Amino acid sequence: MAIPVLMPRQGQSVETCILGEWVKKKGDAVKVGDILFSYETDKASFEEEAKADGILLDVFFAEGDEVPVLVNVAVIGAAGESVDEFRPGGQVAAPVAETAAAAEVVAEKATVPEVKTVSEPSGKVKISPRAKNLAEKSGVAYQQLHGSGPEGRIIERDIEAAAQVMPKLTPLAQEKAKAEGLKVGETTTGLGGKAVAKDLISYNPIYSDDFEVKKLTNMRKLIAKAMHTSLQNSAQLTHHMSADARTIMALRKKYKKALDAGQITQNITINDLVCFAVIKALKKFPQVNTHFIGDSMRWFKKVHLGLAVDTDRGLMVPAIKNADDLSLEGLSGQLQAIAGQCRKGNVSPELLAPEAATFTISNLGNYGVEMFTPVINIPQTAILGVCTIVPRPKDLGDGVYGFVPMMGLSLTYDHQALDGGEATLFLREIKEQIENLVI
Amino acid sequence: MPKSQFIDPSEVRKAGEITFNPIPVNQYSKTVEEEKANFSNEDLMRIYRDMVVIREFETMLNMIKIRGDYNGIAYDHPGPAHLSIGQEAAAVGMAYTLGVEDFIFGSHRSHGEILAKGLSAIAKLSDEQLMNVMESHFDGITFAPVKKGHTGTVKELAIKFLIYGTLAEIFARETGFNKGLGGSMHAFFTPFGVYPNNAIVGGSGDIAVGAALYKKVNRKEGIVVANIGDASMACGPVWEGLTFATMDQFNELWEGDMKGGLPLIINIMNNQYGMGGQTCGETAGYTVAARIGAGLNADQLHAERVDGYNPLAVIDAYKRKRKILEEKRGPVLLDVLTYRYSGHSPSDASSYRSKEEVEAWEAQDSIAWFGKELVKTGVATEEQLTGIKGDTISLMESSMKLAIDLEISPRMDMAKNPNLIGEMMFGNESVDRMEDRAPDVNHPMEENPRVQQLAKKERFAFDENGKAHSKIKTYAYRDGIFEAIVDRFYKDPTLIAYGEENRDWGGAFAVYRGLTEALPYHRLFNSPIAEAAIVGTAIGYAMCGGRVIPEIMYCDFLGRCGDQVFNQLPKWQAMSGNVIKMPVVLRVSVGSKYGAQHSQDWTALTAQIPGLKVVFPATPYDAKGLMNAALQGTDPVIFFESQRLYDMGEMFHKGGVPEGYYEIAIGEPDVKREGTDVTILTIGATLYRAIEAADILQEKYGISAEVIDARSLSPFNYEPVLASIKKTGRILISGDASTRGSFMKEMAQTISELAFDDLDAPPVVVGSRNWITPAYELENSFFPCADWMIDAIHEKMLPLKGHVVKNNFTSAEQIRRNKLGV
Repeated sequence: MAIPVLMPRQGQSVETCILGEWVKKKGDAVKVGDILFSYETDKASFEEEAKADGILLDVFFAEGDEVPVLVNVAVIGAAGESVDEFRPGGQVAAPVAETAAAAEVVAEKATVPEVKTVSEPSGKVKISPRAKNLAEKSGVAYQQLHGSGPEGRIIERDIEAAAQVMPKLTPLAQEKAKAEGLKVGETTTGLGGKAVAKDLISYNPIYSDDFEVKKLTNMRKLIAKAMHTSLQNSAQLTHHMSADARTIMALRKKYKKALDAGQITQNITINDLVCFAVIKALKKFPQVNTHFIGDSMRWFKKVHLGLAVDTDRGLMVPAIKNADDLSLEGLSGQLQAIAGQCRKGNVSPELLAPEAATFTISNLGNYGVEMFTPVINIPQTAILGVCTIVPRPKDLGDGVYGFVPMMGLSLTYDHQALDGGEATLFLREIKEQIENLVI
Repeated sequence: MPKSQFIDPSEVRKAGEITFNPIPVNQYSKTVEEEKANFSNEDLMRIYRDMVVIREFETMLNMIKIRGDYNGIAYDHPGPAHLSIGQEAAAVGMAYTLGVEDFIFGSHRSHGEILAKGLSAIAKLSDEQLMNVMESHFDGITFAPVKKGHTGTVKELAIKFLIYGTLAEIFARETGFNKGLGGSMHAFFTPFGVYPNNAIVGGSGDIAVGAALYKKVNRKEGIVVANIGDASMACGPVWEGLTFATMDQFNELWEGDMKGGLPLIINIMNNQYGMGGQTCGETAGYTVAARIGAGLNADQLHAERVDGYNPLAVIDAYKRKRKILEEKRGPVLLDVLTYRYSGHSPSDASSYRSKEEVEAWEAQDSIAWFGKELVKTGVATEEQLTGIKGDTISLMESSMKLAIDLEISPRMDMAKNPNLIGEMMFGNESVDRMEDRAPDVNHPMEENPRVQQLAKKERFAFDENGKAHSKIKTYAYRDGIFEAIVDRFYKDPTLIAYGEENRDWGGAFAVYRGLTEALPYHRLFNSPIAEAAIVGTAIGYAMCGGRVIPEIMYCDFLGRCGDQVFNQLPKWQAMSGNVIKMPVVLRVSVGSKYGAQHSQDWTALTAQIPGLKVVFPATPYDAKGLMNAALQGTDPVIFFESQRLYDMGEMFHKGGVPEGYYEIAIGEPDVKREGTDVTILTIGATLYRAIEAADILQEKYGISAEVIDARSLSPFNYEPVLASIKKTGRILISGDASTRGSFMKEMAQTISELAFDDLDAPPVVVGSRNWITPAYELENSFFPCADWMIDAIHEKMLPLKGHVVKNNFTSAEQIRRNKLGV
């Protein structure tokens, strides 16, 4: 029975051998121990001996072929036997290692990495020397960056990302900008478009250093925020009108006399009288005694009157709760008391919240202001500005004109909540109430 | 194992016995009167004078050491002085017959041998030759102080030169024989045939064998004497040297005029003590050191014991033994019995021996006895002997005065030239061949079967489509090393190579396949499995002027030749003041798959030692270029290879490995792949895993890695690495050595200093674990892999979006591992 002759395996790592020389030819008779062929690995040469007697029926490889180990190389058997079953199936399928061809893999680099900042750096800032150098060179204020490196370390890529979105400043400019809260102006004069210290501006470069920078008090910050928010978040406009002040002035005179005579204890002021009149008007126009809160409005049953009070620390607007329940004297007393609290600084914070009042009056009459556009204390719907009293010519009847003291009224309202007509009618109602005030 | 030698089981299994010939002990019995027939009165007087000179020289040193002055001349010598007072007859007897072409090697206690050999050489050289030697040594720097004002003969002047040069060397003066860089224990002077003495006990036991090999292989005149102590017979490297020296192949396999033994005398200066240990009766068992010869070869090394207290007995032995060497029946072992009165060193109180014993030997003092004999036999008068003594004392006094004078004998001016010693460490020479003559080869190079086979190989790993050629058709790393070496064998006639399995087998990793056919035995042979001897003999071979490639197979065997690689190979160039060259390329292969004692990368051990050049190429192109550079130089190079690399084709150098000669400068790293985001610096075979990591980083994370192959460890040019870091800001250093104390750590530290401001993260080292190397199947948890590198980059340098780590590279883990020492 025919037997195959294998290419021997020489050592574990040898996968193929090169067939050297055929000592025996196809058809030769061979005996056990006869050398059939020589072969070599990359380390040494060997000879393969016949392991059976017989005829070398066929050889499958030629000299110089690279033959995988353990593949049939030849067949020994009796003459006439078939060798087909031993013929190696495929041709020499040398296991050619596919090399990781250095394919140009253009992996997509993340576009602009996200820049995260922290408001206050906590403790020591961890930053690599390279990132620090780059930050200084490119003028990135790294102290506020959030590091993406190991253990939150700021690394090069953080600075690179920041440099793309933040203005670039020189180290001196960085320091100055941070200390003085300055900004980079429209033009920069440093190398590579960098902003140098003199490029930093506050509001007017002409003033140069002729000013002192003072930090805002908290109070100021709150007011600023409230005012800005108000203008940002509502649609404000102002109507102006004047009211004949003769009635109200007569009332004031009367109460003054009574006070002086000791008949009453409360000093009733023009402002008290105006407030009293406005409360009456509000009762007739409940749509003004409201808060506008986006997709709905709060309609208040009672009038909580806000009064702008000027203090040393800034503007305050405390509320008089349920002001429509009060008599003139009561209202006057409360207004006086709360204004005093505001000036002393012991007013209850609850009363200062914009939500505490339903409508606000701001009176600048004492200062001679003839007309202004007060800013709504949102979410309130409107605010009344009370201006100074000036004599104006008026038709006194029968073709007689005379100068009449007239009080300016400026109503700012949120056009989101009220239409112009409504607002005008409300302002007119206030005028009516003032001109015809009856206690 | 050559096929020509048949081990016949029926022969070697036969019963029988080994017989020994009697070993002569102190058989010399002639009187001085009888020897007058063989020696002139002048000769005998010279023998006496030489002994007196040695005695006085060492007495002077002893006085300086213990009293701080010699005959009223004060000097403080803080360095060592291992004296041999009492051993003068042995030294003079050994040296008396030797010619200038005969080389002696010595120990830490060799002042006597240096002077004896020097005086012997002076007696043999003509005045003209002597003047030439003195005037040419360091351009006459050593000569100048003694030359000035000399009246008398040239030979007297030469003796002054010898005493002064040795003393100045001991006192670390720039005018010393080796610029003061050798000192007491390493003083030598090659123009007189005095080769290095060695502060390591038995250090010359293998080096001298290599010197004898040099004489034989290069057909040089002269013999080699290894002066080693009786206690050094216990040292492994001495035994290895003896085994190497007595290999059968010298007689059985070496052909033509190369057939026969080495011209070598192992001269045991047997003073019967090894420091404070008594070799006879306490620390050894041979009783008579000559017995050792019987164990080494059938000739018993022609061993005998000679009475070293009689200079004429020793001279007689040398005359007889030289004949044996001339008949190529060496080597020879002489057990020269002697005694030192002085302690091991001046701090030795001799508490290990009795006063009576020292006195008994002093009573038989060789100089006193020989002097009396000379007077008795009418050779000299008492007055003549007293005159010799007096002249010698004057000679010492004048020499000492010169040697301690800082004006005449300055030390190296390290303040003025801080790099003086640095300049001595390497020769950095470029030398095609160490000698100009036709090399012994068996056939022209182009007829070599391996050379022919290589001509058909693909010299780049990939075809034009980027597809890899099959392994067997690819010109591989081992072929690169072979090509450089075979080229040098045909260029440099002195080049020899040896190690285990280097011949026939072609080296365990088939690098030398084909060399057996090209070279006769004496240029390529198999050594005993004795790494200390393999390296030690190579040192001796190179010291004498030959180029040599020893190979120790596995890196793990470096420990077996620790002294040779750490203490000898790196030191002799600088310790000689650059008189000696050391063109040795030591091939060391880092293993793989073979577990804890066959797979270690110990590059750091060699790179840590000053005086060695260390390279570790990873590609065929680099392997050939660096081997060419190593073989072109004259400095010792530790040439690391790796079993992971031998069948690698060239994947980087476009155009493949050039067929012609080229060199790659030692010390220059190579950028194997350019990148912009992170640098990976690798040592050795780790290169391929770094390339794999770079592929993954690019494909998966869009990170472009620059891969630099260190190629060399020492010297190393950091500039290309720093330039890379300037670009990338980050560096990971990887190699197969266990991390702790590795060269990677050295690089990381240096880079931290040099590139601090450019770094975006600390340099990170990814080496192997601090464990034993486990079995092949577990190697991926021991050696750095691509995913280790990526994890380390993610954890320590540049967090990668979406990356999930597999390995723990956190700081906490690093601290924990260090706490545990693993």
